[in-house]
Amino acid sequence: MPIFKIKHITNYKYELPVRDSANQIILFPIKDDFQKVIQHDLNISGSPEIEIFIDYYGNEVGTFTQNEPHYQLKIFSKVCVETFPKPLPQDDMFSSEQWTGLDMIKYEVPYIDYLRQETFDGIVQLKETALSIKSDEDTPYQTAIKYCAHVFQNYEYIKGITAVDTTIEEIMKLKAGVCQDFAHVLTAMLRLTGIPARYVSGYICPNRDGMRGEGATHAWAEAYLPEYGWLGLDPTNNCIANENHVRLAVGRNFTDCSPVKGVYKGGFEHIMEVNVSVGYNDEDFNENENYFQPKEINYSKPSATVTAARKQNSYQQYMEAMQQQQQQ
Amino acid sequence: MIENFIKNYLNHPNTFDEMFLNSDNYRNHYSNFINNFSKESLDNLNKKEELAKKLFMSQGITFTVYDSGEGIEKIFPFDIIPRIITSSEWSFIEKGIKQRLKALNLFLKDVYSNQFILKDKIVPTNVIYSCPHFLREMHNVNVLHDIYIHIAGIDLIRDHDGTFYVLEDNLRTPSGVSYMLENREITKRLFPDLIPQCGVRSVTEYPAILYKNLMALSPRAVSNPTIVMLSPGMYNSAYYEHTTLARLMGVELVEGRDLVVKNQKVFMKTTIGLQQIDVIYRRVDDDYLDPLVFNPNSVLGVAGLMGAYRKGNVAIVNAVGNGVADDKAVYTYVPDMIKYYLNEEPILKNVPTYQLSNRDELEYVFENINKMVIKKTNGSGGYGMLMGHAASEQETEEYKLEILKDPRNFIAQPTISLSSAPCFINGKLSPRRIDLRPFALNGPDGISIVPGGLTRVALKEGSLVVNSSQGGGSKDTWVLTS
Repeated sequence: MPIFKIKHITNYKYELPVRDSANQIILFPIKDDFQKVIQHDLNISGSPEIEIFIDYYGNEVGTFTQNEPHYQLKIFSKVCVETFPKPLPQDDMFSSEQWTGLDMIKYEVPYIDYLRQETFDGIVQLKETALSIKSDEDTPYQTAIKYCAHVFQNYEYIKGITAVDTTIEEIMKLKAGVCQDFAHVLTAMLRLTGIPARYVSGYICPNRDGMRGEGATHAWAEAYLPEYGWLGLDPTNNCIANENHVRLAVGRNFTDCSPVKGVYKGGFEHIMEVNVSVGYNDEDFNENENYFQPKEINYSKPSATVTAARKQNSYQQYMEAMQQQQQQ
Repeated sequence: MIENFIKNYLNHPNTFDEMFLNSDNYRNHYSNFINNFSKESLDNLNKKEELAKKLFMSQGITFTVYDSGEGIEKIFPFDIIPRIITSSEWSFIEKGIKQRLKALNLFLKDVYSNQFILKDKIVPTNVIYSCPHFLREMHNVNVLHDIYIHIAGIDLIRDHDGTFYVLEDNLRTPSGVSYMLENREITKRLFPDLIPQCGVRSVTEYPAILYKNLMALSPRAVSNPTIVMLSPGMYNSAYYEHTTLARLMGVELVEGRDLVVKNQKVFMKTTIGLQQIDVIYRRVDDDYLDPLVFNPNSVLGVAGLMGAYRKGNVAIVNAVGNGVADDKAVYTYVPDMIKYYLNEEPILKNVPTYQLSNRDELEYVFENINKMVIKKTNGSGGYGMLMGHAASEQETEEYKLEILKDPRNFIAQPTISLSSAPCFINGKLSPRRIDLRPFALNGPDGISIVPGGLTRVALKEGSLVVNSSQGGGSKDTWVLTS
């Protein structure tokens, strides 16, 4: 079964020294029948103590603080993970039976959380679109595949056009975005049709042709199918997310799964470099990180959360800033 | 003197008056007070009222009204006539509140761990999971001694026949206790002899009980744990109360910027370096408590606080996530919780409540809207309420549209004719509507409720809204020893 060696570097550089930063990382691959973690090394500049807990959605979450003044915060995560393909759904139950099955669990935990769609302008329109794509005989599985294709075909993949907190309404207007946005639109469509859907954060381990979402953390969606369980759907690449997708976290949306976020006191100006690279053999995996040459660095523009803070006066900006990275 | 007062007292029709049985007779438990009070001349009473105003002003006993445009910090109006509660009424209230709090506390523990009450379908899962104050971040967090509700303010009202009802539970950051304490101090100055002569139970031990409970929560086994009062700052409507309670308990009054989290521990910045904090009595809402976990734009909280809390290195009072238990849509199920967790019949009644997310109830409420009070499920302070009988047609129609946007956010209750009590207004006694908010403290040794509370008064003639933000005032509340 495929073994992937993933290096994920997040590097924040500050113009002025910052202090008292509190951070949260969700960088621990999910451990289940389809994913096995062989090795995981986590190095953070300043070597803070990392406290790990399991959140409501079952994800491993780490938190740490960095109180001394610092110009840089570097988080280096090196994972070696083996994946096992999940057999695809048989989909041999009557369609109506499957829909009834979904209807029966709609108020049950945890599905209730994955069926509730936060309201947004355009929700009615999206629901209409969703319902028009699906035919009456379609099973939830067939419906989910159609929605995945719809998002892939109707939304353009453009980096930098959206930010961490772009709303579905804005994505619908732009008809474009990155994987995080694609995943948000797909989960909304599934939920509005009555299929529980969750957001997944992780890494894509592409074949030799390359795939979208490389070089950063990736995001996709999962749909819950009766008698089967969760099916991974990657609307950015229009494929089933299976053994080439490594899962880090699941949740209702990006906010629940944000791989790295932090709040610090000090200068607002910062740049963030993120690089994710996937190797298939031992070549440079065990080498020191300094020898590691990223092929592409993703410079993020400041997130909209920070932009909102920017409207306040510069003193307040100085006092507290929030950093978060978008999933591409 | 008193005869004049009684003769001219115009009781509201079909209303329970706390002092007067009818226009000729007063209730027995007021007789001691009336005998003493009647010795005062009108001139003297006017002077006392004037003195009360001056004392409130000079001591800065204020609250803040949001969105009022003018000078927003206001003196809390005080009426010099106390509201008197008999000892048997009090023991009923006390039992009822203790029972209710026990059940609500068990509910919070349950809903953030095993969720038995949801699995047994006593409370619909949907109601809980659609509540914005149900914090998934609190799932499986160990709360010290399993106490979620350390401080509660339970609002009670009386119907036309004198029956007590719970109007709402305040389990997050209930305010008003400092006014209870100040009102008593003012009464002592106005009528120095009356309190001992009438046999009024003391309320002054409140800060001492609270302090003892806070001390008992310290996660570190040290003899002098550090306790702080975390306030959002001077622009908060209850800032006066934050300063008063901090002073009375002798604990530090801090704001978010004074604290820092380091390796899952909370510290206070002092002139001699960092000092570890054990217990935080916070008056900052959940959403603003930790920008890392909740509202990222908050500057009122402390980044990383939830990490320290989860780890058990700091106690937070009240616990985080209590809002799911005092949500007005969840309120409907409190009697069921009492039966479910305690196997007891509820002592205090709920006001009948219609859930507007339920289609049939919505239709019924819309048809009878002029007999209803409609509230936001997550509102407080009397903001955003519709009083059906008093609203204009246009206001009603606008409000209906608002409800239809998200019916889950609203509940309706039939208008209750709140009990009245005489107030000294313009030199005579006039009836005004009142409610009662007793304050309960829950510590490792159990629940204690100081005998008294805040009696709020709707000072506007004919008004049924007692909230201080809506033109309400208050009275000293006497609980008699016998």
